[in-house]
Amino acid sequence: MPKIIIDGNEIEFKQGQTIIEAAKDHGIEIPHFCWHPKLSVSGNCRMCLVEVEKMPKLVIACATVASEGMVVHTQSPKTIAARNAVMEFLLINHPLDCPICDEAGECKLQDYAYQHSIGESRFVEEKVHKDKRVKIGPRVMFDAERCISCSRCIRFCDEIAKDSELTFTRRGDRVTITTFPGEELDNPYSMNVVDICPVGALTNADFRFKARVWDMSHTNSICIGCSRGCNIEIWVRNNEILRLTPRHNEDVNSYWMCDHGRLNTFKFVNSETRVNSPHIRKEGQLIRVSWDEAFAEAASRLRTFGKDQIAVIGSAYATCEDNYLVSKFAKNILGTGNLDFIRHIDYSFADDILRKEDLTPNSLGAELMGVKPLKNGLNVEEIIKSIKEGKIKALYLIEDDILTADPEIETYLAKLELLIVHAANFNQSTNFADIVFPAATYAEKNGTFINFQGRLQRIRPAVATIEVDRALEGMALSRLDKFGTKFDRWAQGKHFDARATWKILTSLSNAFGSRWKYKMAEDVFDEMVSSIPELKGLNYDIIGDLGVQLKLEKVNVV
Amino acid sequence: MEKIVLPDIKDFHKLEVYLQHGGYSAAKKAFGQSSDDIIDQVKRSGLRGRGGAAFLTGLKWSFMPKTTDKPKYLCVNGDESEPGSFKDRQIFEYNPHQLIEGIIITCYAIGAKVAYIYIRGEYHKWIKLMQKALDDAYAAGYVGEKMKEKFGTDFYCDIYIHKGAGAYICGEESALMNSIEGKRGYPRVKPPFPAQNGLWGCPTTINNVETITNVPPIINKGWEWFASIGEPKHPGTILFGVSGHVNKPGVYELPSGTLLTDIIYNYAGGVPGNKKILCVIPGGSSMPPLRGDQIEGVKMDAESLKAAGSAIGTGGIMVMDEDTDLVKVLARIAHFYHHESCGQCTPCREGTGWLEKILKRLIAGKGSVSDLDLLITVANQIEGNTICALGEAAAWPVKFMVERFRDYFEQRVSKEISLPVANKVHSMRHTAIPVEEIKH
Repeated sequence: MPKIIIDGNEIEFKQGQTIIEAAKDHGIEIPHFCWHPKLSVSGNCRMCLVEVEKMPKLVIACATVASEGMVVHTQSPKTIAARNAVMEFLLINHPLDCPICDEAGECKLQDYAYQHSIGESRFVEEKVHKDKRVKIGPRVMFDAERCISCSRCIRFCDEIAKDSELTFTRRGDRVTITTFPGEELDNPYSMNVVDICPVGALTNADFRFKARVWDMSHTNSICIGCSRGCNIEIWVRNNEILRLTPRHNEDVNSYWMCDHGRLNTFKFVNSETRVNSPHIRKEGQLIRVSWDEAFAEAASRLRTFGKDQIAVIGSAYATCEDNYLVSKFAKNILGTGNLDFIRHIDYSFADDILRKEDLTPNSLGAELMGVKPLKNGLNVEEIIKSIKEGKIKALYLIEDDILTADPEIETYLAKLELLIVHAANFNQSTNFADIVFPAATYAEKNGTFINFQGRLQRIRPAVATIEVDRALEGMALSRLDKFGTKFDRWAQGKHFDARATWKILTSLSNAFGSRWKYKMAEDVFDEMVSSIPELKGLNYDIIGDLGVQLKLEKVNVV
Repeated sequence: MEKIVLPDIKDFHKLEVYLQHGGYSAAKKAFGQSSDDIIDQVKRSGLRGRGGAAFLTGLKWSFMPKTTDKPKYLCVNGDESEPGSFKDRQIFEYNPHQLIEGIIITCYAIGAKVAYIYIRGEYHKWIKLMQKALDDAYAAGYVGEKMKEKFGTDFYCDIYIHKGAGAYICGEESALMNSIEGKRGYPRVKPPFPAQNGLWGCPTTINNVETITNVPPIINKGWEWFASIGEPKHPGTILFGVSGHVNKPGVYELPSGTLLTDIIYNYAGGVPGNKKILCVIPGGSSMPPLRGDQIEGVKMDAESLKAAGSAIGTGGIMVMDEDTDLVKVLARIAHFYHHESCGQCTPCREGTGWLEKILKRLIAGKGSVSDLDLLITVANQIEGNTICALGEAAAWPVKFMVERFRDYFEQRVSKEISLPVANKVHSMRHTAIPVEEIKH
């Protein structure tokens, strides 16, 4: 492979790579604002100016193609002088309002001001004033004074979202971003501009002013908005999720996620409708009870039904670990073959960017874990039909709402002799439930999902439930988690009394007299690995942060 | 002296007059030769671009790929937006057919089927004049498909006039191409250069109006003839637009290498009131200014001006007499580049405004000597760090004027010196600095 020399280090590069790309591949970061690995090169910020021997002027590393024997200096006096110059220029008209800016703490301009700036300004004139607090789209706010005109947001809309909504207008230091007449920044991916904006010009309307970023913990997870399984980070302060951001995974979602996933898949976690501790219906009302009482009640009532009178519905919202034990519970404990899960398909949601028509994160996982009717067993449609016909008298429903499968079932649910539901939030099904187990959400447990590609990916707890201690469980900690005292109001977040479905089923099975010994989700996974050939040789460490591609016979659940 | 670009012939802009004087015979001659021969002749003639950079025209043409499956284009730059430059409009008005003939020869040489003449939007009158000439040429069969019949050749090309919308930056070749494409007038990052990736992503040559107008005489009279005119390294005549404190401002076509003092004192009639010359900008407002005592013996061609510490630019000579307030001149120039900076890249976007603000402060009597050093460092921080040459255009006048007139500027900022409010520099009449802000 051809080689270039960067600051005395000889590095290999691929033919056609630019200097900045070659450097990045070898862990050398050349400072930049406008360059983004997934966007076209605009070359406007000039932050990546570097000295290349035998070239008369400094060149921008983002647009200069590497060639054999090129000698690049990123720390030479000339390069540093140019970088300082660019930083000074960028800051002269910048409002320097970091104390009230959401971007502070994750701002390229702020970081570089520390790393690559002399720290003083010689600018004594009045700054250019531009529009503040512009609602540039329903989900994004724009502060024109903070903008450094890098054009990343414009290029994102043009090239990734494929919906040209943004453009520059005016000239010189009056340049600003605007939407085209009659347009607003409302494409389904609009909020990615907030992530790629290197400054606080574009901010998340939902998250604005909620927290300083350094006060939050961030946990690697997977979006549950559809079967793409975009890799995300969950940002938590005071045990409350405040925002989700996409996490780079070139095989799944690149650097992006859709606005639906970002906004609509975390608020239920801290919602008022959360099921907090187990409930049993007494005299028509769901009453909070202890876990032991709920397990005893569930076991004794389930025992009264014949195998053919019981059906179990697993969930494509739940993890593989959950579904594996759902399957095991149905077959081994209840002995029923009436086992399936509800599909949530919406073709109008799908696009050719990220969004998939399957609106659940784990359909392939539920299927691979054996959540499907056994021979002579009933599938979902047949279960619903049998409930209506009165043949099924007891339904065990995991993390889903059966009314979404068939709204007409409502009138028949009351006829069920027993309805047990695992639910994170009260829903239409819990209205008819006899026993409700509070299910931990995806943000409160360990586990795995299999996305539409057949990629196995991990989720991790980001929010602590009542039985979990952040520090003891090794969960990500924020500055406040680490240093907040019990007198610190920030450390007093709400903790729900909820458990992962696999854990609830383990206790319930043991109430049936079995001896399940799963202490952690990983214990369940280890058993899955030994019994499911597709998972052979895997463990949580191997899955890691980016997941592993499984070899599945069937990779489309729809 | 023979004039090549603006001959003294009455009604030469009319097609019939142009034809009476051998019009379109160069094209006929050119079509009888190979395109390589044409490029070779222009190369040997030593013709250099008249748009500012004085690049060798024939060499530029030779960069066009010989084999390509893409269409090729010629762009003719008539944006003429450099302050102090007003020569191309003389060609639009007085010699449009020689430009058209130059275009069809150039198209033939580089293999382009389409040429665009980009004319600044403010030139309403000249756009109309040029369009009239083009329509006449089309009607008579000198342009377009009828060319085949007229010249008895397989080659033909079309010419379109594209009107600018009032941006200096669209005179920059890659911004000009973006403008033609209907995009925002942003210069492109180079490389790739236009010959590889130009208009619509296709191989493109961009030449100045005056450059192209020189082509037909070179073909007709031979490259040896052209190469013998003026300075050997920058041969031919040059249109010098003289403005400012001279008795006879105007456009003068003179051989390259003519003495600057000769142009000012003989052709342009000297300085009104026989005042001393304080400053001359020899090539349009972006070129380094010369002090009055630096102009003696300076010849007007690219190499000589480079040696004298400036550049030929567009040949727009701006003369300022001893009563001129150079701080105001510089502030006005800085205002222009601030106003015209496209805002794409950081140093120019932010730096041009900063320069203007400092200079306005100096005018207001709120500056100090340290601001002069600041002006130079800010200019240095812009220069060489930008996408296009507007960075240099904005930095050079500031840097060189402050450096070359250091004593003057120091005196000017240390006390408010009394100068007449009425500024006599023609181009300064419409100063953007509100009078009330100027203290005397």
